[in-house]
Amino acid sequence: MTYRLRSSRRALLQGAAAAGLAAGLPLGAARAQGPALKIGVILPRSGYLAQAGQSCQRGVDIAPQVLSDLGHRVEVVSVDFESNVDLARTQAEKLIADGANVLVGAFDSGGTSAIAQVCEQKAVPLVINVAAAPQITEQGFKYVFRNFPTSVMLVRNGLSLMKEMFKATNVTPKSGIFIHANDTFGQANRGAIDRLFPTLDMPFKLVDAIAYDPRAQDLSVEVTKCKASGADFVIVTTRAGDAIRLIREMVKQRYEPKGIVSPGSPGMYDQEFYDGLGGYSDYTITNLPWPNFNAPITKRLGEAFAKRFPQARFGVDAFNVGFTFEAMLVAADAAKRAGSRDSRAIAEALRSTDIADHVMTGGTISFDAKGQNNNIASATVQNLKKTPTVVLPREAAQAKPVFPMPGWRGRQA
Amino acid sequence: MTARNLLLGLLAVLIAAPAVIGAYPLAVLILVLHYAYLGIAWNVMMGFAGLLSLGHALYVGLGAYVAAALYASFGLPALLGAIPAAIVATLAGLGIGALGFRFRVNGVYFALLTIAFAEFTRILFDHMGWTGGSSGFFLPVEHGQLNPIALRGPPVLFYYVALVMTAGAFVLARSLMRSRLGYAWLAIREDPDSAAASGVDVFRARMAAVAVSSALTSLGGVFYAFYYNNMYPEQIFSMARSIEIILAPIIGGLGTLFGPVLGSFVLTLLGEGTTGLLEHFGWAAPGAKQVIYGLALLVIVMVQPAGLWPWLAKRLRIGRDG
Repeated sequence: MTYRLRSSRRALLQGAAAAGLAAGLPLGAARAQGPALKIGVILPRSGYLAQAGQSCQRGVDIAPQVLSDLGHRVEVVSVDFESNVDLARTQAEKLIADGANVLVGAFDSGGTSAIAQVCEQKAVPLVINVAAAPQITEQGFKYVFRNFPTSVMLVRNGLSLMKEMFKATNVTPKSGIFIHANDTFGQANRGAIDRLFPTLDMPFKLVDAIAYDPRAQDLSVEVTKCKASGADFVIVTTRAGDAIRLIREMVKQRYEPKGIVSPGSPGMYDQEFYDGLGGYSDYTITNLPWPNFNAPITKRLGEAFAKRFPQARFGVDAFNVGFTFEAMLVAADAAKRAGSRDSRAIAEALRSTDIADHVMTGGTISFDAKGQNNNIASATVQNLKKTPTVVLPREAAQAKPVFPMPGWRGRQA
Repeated sequence: MTARNLLLGLLAVLIAAPAVIGAYPLAVLILVLHYAYLGIAWNVMMGFAGLLSLGHALYVGLGAYVAAALYASFGLPALLGAIPAAIVATLAGLGIGALGFRFRVNGVYFALLTIAFAEFTRILFDHMGWTGGSSGFFLPVEHGQLNPIALRGPPVLFYYVALVMTAGAFVLARSLMRSRLGYAWLAIREDPDSAAASGVDVFRARMAAVAVSSALTSLGGVFYAFYYNNMYPEQIFSMARSIEIILAPIIGGLGTLFGPVLGSFVLTLLGEGTTGLLEHFGWAAPGAKQVIYGLALLVIVMVQPAGLWPWLAKRLRIGRDG
């Protein structure tokens, strides 16, 4: 009995010690045991989409550690599809053949559509990080889940936020002009604006829409047309270098509208934009989904980013990093709830996803019957001191919106 | 070794391949065969008749859109949709050809004309709402279906379809090459004025080359549409696709039968092999593959400017045309 009593006391002490140790450890670390989920990531890290692909890849690189802290153990295999749709398909086949339980990608709608075919045939879930073509979730796929807004959602949210900004600043422009790249994304935006603008009761008149070649080196004619139209508000859909050329031309021609706002295109929050324009990059606005910097998980992601990439700015890569990380979080969460690494079981679990604590602004991450998350909100991101800064909605704002924007004079390139 | 033996051996290996290889190599082989087929189609114009087209993506895109739209709107199976697809592409080709040959737009100027039409069509499709415009055209996903007539089924179906198309195009190209028309093309390729002086109807012969090439290429487009189930004007009509189409026959050997097939194997396997090697050694930095791939192409073009097939045929003691 004595022995038993001793043994029991020792066990009690050991148990207490273990409990104390466990309490001292991060919860996630204790939970992050078990087999790792193998996530295959496909991104365009070279080719014409390389800049965005590499930005997304930074999110992939920091994800395993952050997910581990949250109690998910993942193994990541990354491949580059070189901005080539044919390769997107073969690389997806390769990842699945190599044992990936779930795929994440692919930034580009064309590449994503090609990967989706493979995932559907192999019954392996694809969690889309960035791809806006609405048809992707309208084709009847059962294994495709998109945690990204469609182009129509992007434009609708973008236009609605413009109205909010006018209300918040008590300044409303009289007339606007839409100038856009004539590539796939720009044309899709044009179509969405043509459809949505008349239905959203916008408080200004849209006087014209001007398309331009994003590869053109000279945008002087287009800017002259904008200036001649008398519009005091400019809506833009740019890609990357063309955004710089567009603003430079506006400065050169002293065209000073009240605001330059994009309803969700890249270009005006890229590092190249700040490097190329200096002070002229300030006060331009992009309305797009953006991380909620007040959320604890975003802070954790930002810390991991700063530690891993001290030369880069989380604020600049936040869009690509945020969505790519979230796609991996969604996959890891589903695998955990499924209690399995089986792809079909993960797909089943993905259908009942309900993640409240996440990085990007908006409601909980959940998917409708078509695999689309409809709860993604946009934020008004204004360049202030060469940094993308959330100015609306108020609950996520880091600063107040500056509208109308100050003139070009006195700013330094 | 004869060309026939080599061909039969290769065909036997390719027929048996799906039974012994996995899904990934199968996907790579589908790409190899697809680009070999398109290379043969392009070679009819450039290799046989000496007409440089840098806008062949036009016919791929037209074939893809016509067949896909007919399937999506009227349920017309791909095999039947291929007929109007080929007709539309042929008419487009004949239009470009007539414009070029009637007004004596030759050489690089003809190449510029083909680029212009491909770009013009891309922009047209970008703005055509009923085919999805720039947002792309999508075919519905059909689960668990196996219908070869409608080109609905697993990758192995597409593999055999690609194999049949490539073999068929090869046989057609071979018979054309040895026909009266084929000899007329060769004469025009070498010297159009001499050919005309010898009684060859240069205009008609050239138009025939354009018609055959554009029709064949459009069938490759039909395959593309049903294999990928989606198409975007920016990708399917792109200059990059036109360049991809011409790489295989240039590397393999212009004007030869085996050239496009060999070129496609070499290029695709070089690309995939380089990726594999870089991953194996942990050097998979973005762009590294393109540098190595580009250097390899440079070496091939410098060492064998006539293409790999003439060199290989000589080594294997096979007739140059092979």
